Amino acid sequence: MSEFATFNAHPAAPVRAESPLAASRVGVAVQSSAQGAGVCIGERALLGHLILRGKAADEGFRAGVEAALGVPLPLKLGPVARDDARGVSVQWMSPDEWLVVVPEAQDHETELRLRAALSGHYAVINVSGAQTLLELSGPAARQVLMKSAGYDFHPSAFPVGKGISTTLAKSTAVIRRTGEAQWELIIRRSFADYLYSWLLDASEEFGVFVAR
Amino acid sequence: MSQRNRLGAGGRIDRKRALRFTFNGVSYQGYAGDTLASALLANGVDVLNRSFKYARPRGVVTAGADEPNAIVQLGATEAGQVPNVRATQQALYDGLVAKSTNGWPNVDRDVMGVLGKLGGKFMPPGFYYKTFMSPASAWPKYEQYIRKAAGLGRSPVENDPDIYDHMNHHCDVLVVGAGPAGLGAALAAARSGARVILCDEQEEMGGSLLDSREEIDGKPAAEWAAAAVAELGALPDVLLLSRTTANGYHDHNFVTLHQRRTEHLADVAPLADGRRQARARMHKVRAGRVVLATGTHERPLVYARNDVPGNMVAGAVSTYIRRYAVAPGQRLVLSTTNDHAYRAALDWHDAGREVVAIVDAREAPDGELVAAARARNIRIITGSAVIEAQGKKRVTAAVVAAIDIDGFRVKGNTSELACDTIASSGGYSPVVHLAAHTGSRPVWREDLLGFVSGSVPGQIPAGGVNGRWALNDALADGFEAGARAAAETGLSASAFTLPTVAPVREGKPVALYQVPHTKPAMRAPKQFVDQQNDVTASGIELATREGFESIEHVKRYTGLGFGTDQGKLGNINGMAIAARVTQQTIPDVGTTVFRPNYTPITFGAIAGRHCNEFFDPRRYTALHAWHVERGAKFEEVGQWMRPWYFPRGSESMHEAVQRECRAVREGVGILDASTLGKIEVQGKDAREFLNRLYTNAWTKLDPGKCRYGLMCKDDGMVMDDGVTACLATNHFHMTTTTGGAAGVLDWMEMWHQTEWPDLEVYFNSTTDHWAAMTVTGPNARKLLAELVDIDMSAEAFAYMDWREAKIAGVPARIFRISFTGELSYEINVQANYAMHVWKALFDKGAKYDLTPYGTETMHVLRAEKGFIIIGQETDGSVTPEDLGMQWAVGYKKPYSWIGRRALSRPDTKREDRKQLVGLKPLDAQLVLQEGAQIVLEKEIRIPMPMVGHVTSSYFSPTLGHGFALALIKGGSQRIGQTVYLPMADGKVHAAEVVSPVFYDPQGARHHV
Repeated sequence: MSEFATFNAHPAAPVRAESPLAASRVGVAVQSSAQGAGVCIGERALLGHLILRGKAADEGFRAGVEAALGVPLPLKLGPVARDDARGVSVQWMSPDEWLVVVPEAQDHETELRLRAALSGHYAVINVSGAQTLLELSGPAARQVLMKSAGYDFHPSAFPVGKGISTTLAKSTAVIRRTGEAQWELIIRRSFADYLYSWLLDASEEFGVFVAR
Repeated sequence: MSQRNRLGAGGRIDRKRALRFTFNGVSYQGYAGDTLASALLANGVDVLNRSFKYARPRGVVTAGADEPNAIVQLGATEAGQVPNVRATQQALYDGLVAKSTNGWPNVDRDVMGVLGKLGGKFMPPGFYYKTFMSPASAWPKYEQYIRKAAGLGRSPVENDPDIYDHMNHHCDVLVVGAGPAGLGAALAAARSGARVILCDEQEEMGGSLLDSREEIDGKPAAEWAAAAVAELGALPDVLLLSRTTANGYHDHNFVTLHQRRTEHLADVAPLADGRRQARARMHKVRAGRVVLATGTHERPLVYARNDVPGNMVAGAVSTYIRRYAVAPGQRLVLSTTNDHAYRAALDWHDAGREVVAIVDAREAPDGELVAAARARNIRIITGSAVIEAQGKKRVTAAVVAAIDIDGFRVKGNTSELACDTIASSGGYSPVVHLAAHTGSRPVWREDLLGFVSGSVPGQIPAGGVNGRWALNDALADGFEAGARAAAETGLSASAFTLPTVAPVREGKPVALYQVPHTKPAMRAPKQFVDQQNDVTASGIELATREGFESIEHVKRYTGLGFGTDQGKLGNINGMAIAARVTQQTIPDVGTTVFRPNYTPITFGAIAGRHCNEFFDPRRYTALHAWHVERGAKFEEVGQWMRPWYFPRGSESMHEAVQRECRAVREGVGILDASTLGKIEVQGKDAREFLNRLYTNAWTKLDPGKCRYGLMCKDDGMVMDDGVTACLATNHFHMTTTTGGAAGVLDWMEMWHQTEWPDLEVYFNSTTDHWAAMTVTGPNARKLLAELVDIDMSAEAFAYMDWREAKIAGVPARIFRISFTGELSYEINVQANYAMHVWKALFDKGAKYDLTPYGTETMHVLRAEKGFIIIGQETDGSVTPEDLGMQWAVGYKKPYSWIGRRALSRPDTKREDRKQLVGLKPLDAQLVLQEGAQIVLEKEIRIPMPMVGHVTSSYFSPTLGHGFALALIKGGSQRIGQTVYLPMADGKVHAAEVVSPVFYDPQGARHHV
């Protein structure tokens, strides 16, 4: 293990953790309830986010990842591998890159499990502080995405389960479709306030509810 | 005022919904379903404008986007002002306020009109350039007055209260135009299961079907259109966009649609359910296939004084009567070259008004519509044309003569027919503009007497634009195009049954553009080609005589085809005249190039929501809220918002920075350094990669240690710098400059992927993962010792070491590195915990007066130490040696590194290169200007050799004087010399060249 350093970022005794949206303000008129809202936006803060790099062609790598994460490694753009019961998902990002999302504070032990199961040329990078996950839902959620990104969000091109990484407004986002009208957006910390404001603004015309 | 031209029945207006509006201060009434133009015509308003150059009175000519004259300034309030609105395309709404675009003091009594009237003959093309040629220096003054006299509307001087946005679409088939061909195409494609977008610029879909005399499936055409729209609207994958103009057709079937969402409701978008809505929306469509069903524009004939109000294109007369229930006059003379235009006379007659005569240029017209006119006992004068209109502010008579088209002359005597309206038709021009946007050149069809679009990959023209003009042809062409489009996107096209239409037999048209007059064009009354730009037939003749033979030159010399209508009405006529004068054919003359946008588009729609707070993303650190609360002033660094300085009370920036500097030098300060770029480098070849990337060596850096690294581009010039820490044998934490982070990561990927793919190494950005706080100053160690769980002694934790620790209970990596020259620790914690740690530092730091400082103090402190900032001391032309940083260049490294070869060139070895030095102004209180040029002599002469410039300059409270860093030719050999800095105000400053390290050159202060 001395070839690589690992780092458990979490304090032993709980201290206040702040998501990237901790100080963000809602600058648009919002609905008082989700009832009748065209769009619902909420954050799932403080999840564990890891970037996994490795060789998809390496059978040992694939087997190791599956053993460590309990879901098979997706090998191309398409469905995100998920175990919703355990809150684990693995998304193909590029031919040698995956995004692993795990529940809060499980990032470090997930990294240790991966490192224990893998050998050869691979990398695990903890980015839990670097990004956050937004949930976007409602009948107009797709239109909000269409106002924000050039990707094709139609079910024929973007079926439930699929995950991509794309340009969103003037920043970037990982976008995953989790239901007919449900989406997850994973955005970078430093751009989070900009994108959150952008999405709220784009949602306003449809009636937006902010889930807390 | 009564709507004296409104018909008692018919039309697609809602007589139960009366709407009030104001034009030029006069109040009128119209109906829902009217355009502003139809409402003005209903009210008998003849003069809508004064013309651009000659200030002639002008009225409505067309009923659509091709309108040259009825251009108005819209808006009840200053902020709501919209210039250049085509009254023919503006839906009437209650409370609409419009004004003429031109005309002072008003359109009926225009001062410029006098000049136009008297000077008309003396205002040929190029008049302004020729007349106001000298002195050249006076042109700006001339121009100011000329522009005041001309112009097309004005921009509001207040901020736009509306919002605009964009929406992206993907579809199998985009159909542009919802007339018979477009509706047919959309139906055929949609029934095949295609994702279809159908857009149309008008208020209502249906196009020519809305004013057609014909029947489809035994019903009025408009009913069939309504049923088609209803069928399409019920399909889930069909998007119908009315009031939406396809404005730009770009490569790869990317089409931008401009949707006017509220302009039919008010001049400022009303709230919808209490929420803001975008006034206009730009749809960005990526289509598999584009069916262009844009139809045709009718060409008016070019005869003398054809701009007097009451002269209209024939089809517009039909549109106003059948669609808007407005007969824009009492007595009509129709001048035509074709059968189709007879509709205007039939509609006029059927509306109960008098058709004085149909003047047909052909000797023996014989189609079905001709027969219908004869059946109504309408007088038809054959082999003739209207050669001149009489009247000033309204047509009073048409001058008719037999003409010899081939000989371009009038045969025999003229006669006058009293009338108030002259409709003319010289044929139909396919609307090829969009196809031309992609670069394809239109192709002349002699059988159609018009240009059709050249071929564009992925584009299928259908209906009128494809030369299929008869209703049954246009429908069939549309259905076929839609089915073909669906099939070409991989769908199996469903079979379709064409709607039944009884074909109408039309006779052959004749080619006539400019109508001969009894006098030559140069002497005849003006024959307008492009009314919006006041371009006349004689103007085009003159231009060609003066040598402007290319149609592109004619356009620019005369103005033909500019303005809001972009030559929709006049271009083909202008080309025909140029062709006649230069004795070429029309296809030889060719067309000018059509470019986006098809019709004027508001800048708001182009900007969308990318304005104000959304113009550029602002990036924030995890500690931003604290800085705001503490009253920090911010500086934008790249997209980051960084605290610039933290004023206390009423402190000025200078006072705050001086205090912050002293705090760091004497006590302890803290900086939010989170914006620094951070890149994790992992892999067995990580170390080797760093060896090749940086100028210095990394082979012997042990875990627990940090090293400063310098990066060059392959030209040997410094591109970035930063400290990299060895976390474990094959694992490094690299930092870059704030602005360089993304570029450095790209740079690394490029070299890895293209040059050294054999190296086993991965790079990933962790910039946002870590929050970084620099605690610096003589008391830094004491403060941290109170919060961390490790031995902070100099022996246990030396300069350029890093340690893992818990600070305030939070796991951290602490790097003992210094950018201030003081004892300094950079604390990295996972960003979500940053605020907790930052506040804990301030809790314990109160007794040391822990002072937050910003980028300005950071700059002063590092400059006192002679530490460079990339982009300030460097500009892409500076080598490590130029910066005096030979110590960071590892010429002995076994494998080459990026920039090495370039650094051995004679040019990079020159001794007189610009080199980094310090400057000490002789006036100790003076702060030199950054960017100031440096010369060697006190006496200024022009020119004189400039030897360098100031890169950074500040006042140092520690040194007690101003100081600067500079790049000076051969600077390292000039230490001790005096140089001079001539300023723009005439002053010349003097400064002594000194070492760039002003403070603690031995580095004693951070080695404690």
